[in-house]
Amino acid sequence: MKDGCIPIRVANKRAYIWDVDADLMKIRSEHHICGLLVGTLPHLSQQNLFLGLPSQLMPEEATLLVEKGFAVFIDDAKAYPEPSPLQFQQWNAEQREYVKLQQTVLEAETAKPPEVAQRAMSEEAIRKRKERELKRQQKAAELRKREQAEDGTDAGVSQSVFAPTEEAGPSSLRPSTPSLSAVYNISVPAPSSSLNWYSPDSCAYSTVEAAKEAGIWDFPSNLSDRARYGVFKDLWDQGYFMGGGIRFGGEYLVYPGDPLRYHSHFCATVIESPTQVIHPMEIVAHGRLGTATKKTHLFCGWDDEKKIVSYLSIEWAGFG
Amino acid sequence: MEIHPSYPALASVVERYPAHGGPLFQTYNDILLAQQWRDVVVVDLGELCKRGAIKGKRPKTATDAESVLYIVPCSLAESISMAWIKDVFTALADPPSIYLAVASDDSSIVYYKLSSGIVKPSV
Repeated sequence: MKDGCIPIRVANKRAYIWDVDADLMKIRSEHHICGLLVGTLPHLSQQNLFLGLPSQLMPEEATLLVEKGFAVFIDDAKAYPEPSPLQFQQWNAEQREYVKLQQTVLEAETAKPPEVAQRAMSEEAIRKRKERELKRQQKAAELRKREQAEDGTDAGVSQSVFAPTEEAGPSSLRPSTPSLSAVYNISVPAPSSSLNWYSPDSCAYSTVEAAKEAGIWDFPSNLSDRARYGVFKDLWDQGYFMGGGIRFGGEYLVYPGDPLRYHSHFCATVIESPTQVIHPMEIVAHGRLGTATKKTHLFCGWDDEKKIVSYLSIEWAGFG
Repeated sequence: MEIHPSYPALASVVERYPAHGGPLFQTYNDILLAQQWRDVVVVDLGELCKRGAIKGKRPKTATDAESVLYIVPCSLAESISMAWIKDVFTALADPPSIYLAVASDDSSIVYYKLSSGIVKPSV
């Protein structure tokens, strides 16, 4: 992989960015491409305001980043070869080391102050406690015998209810408390880069053509894709930021700067060819909505022969 | 249509492009009588577009009262395209914007401003 090139992980022909600090920030601030955070918990879907990594890129965004040489496609499914025995041993050793560390920390946290703990827990203390209990039982037994012998009644029975019997001392029979060391967590590392057999370089594609040949990418593949890409690239070249336009019935929302700082001025529709039919009703619908939301609606006409885009801005006339 | 007082002004263009006579007649009357535009003239868009358009100025009270504006009528049922709109701009010698008058059968009309290029909203 080229130095400073942003890795776009491709899974199922969708493009994802997995690193906030290095990659996501860079494409946003340097290349004015935003992507869309899509990460959530599988059983606890979040509202889109609270989504996290990864960031999914529109096909246009990913293709543009690769075409301009800012990023490379990585066939992520193939980036995890079988680890070598050595790598596996190392990983295993690290895991054990980690478990040990957890145990040390856990024991230190749960232990009572040292002197108390030692007195309560040491083998010596347990032995002494047992002896004491044994003595008490012997005493009680002797007492019972003497009482029975003295008055020859059954008084001893009622007494014995209160006297500890051999079974009454569960503490003396219970094995010492199980060691806390049996409990530990297994951590699954979030970034693949922490697995030392992860090798993205072997399946990185620095051109769209190469990625298409490898079968991991197929945008743009038809007239519709080419038109979308042509329009996206042209607007991007003019310095605009693009976001999804679904909320305003268009292809893109076009922002004059970072969407976190600016409202969009335009909602764009891609028109695939100069002869594609436009119904006057569409002009009315788009124009009216745009004006009501303080946006101009943009018809972006793609000419696939000349590879150029022509724009038409639509607004309500203000009369009639 | 022929006996309407405004017909003589439209006659030549309507007779040349009878298919688009309806929307032109409707738009012309609305612009002249309801919207109170001034210096209203019908223009022929020629072979490329095969229809008439309207040229005029908005009422004196309007903000841009002195600029000459163009209105291109079309029917709600028509199908147009980017190429069609481009031809209209070309026929009118590429003004920065035109108004598209969309006329429906019940005689209601809506006007939309089409500007070539990327033009920021006015507000």
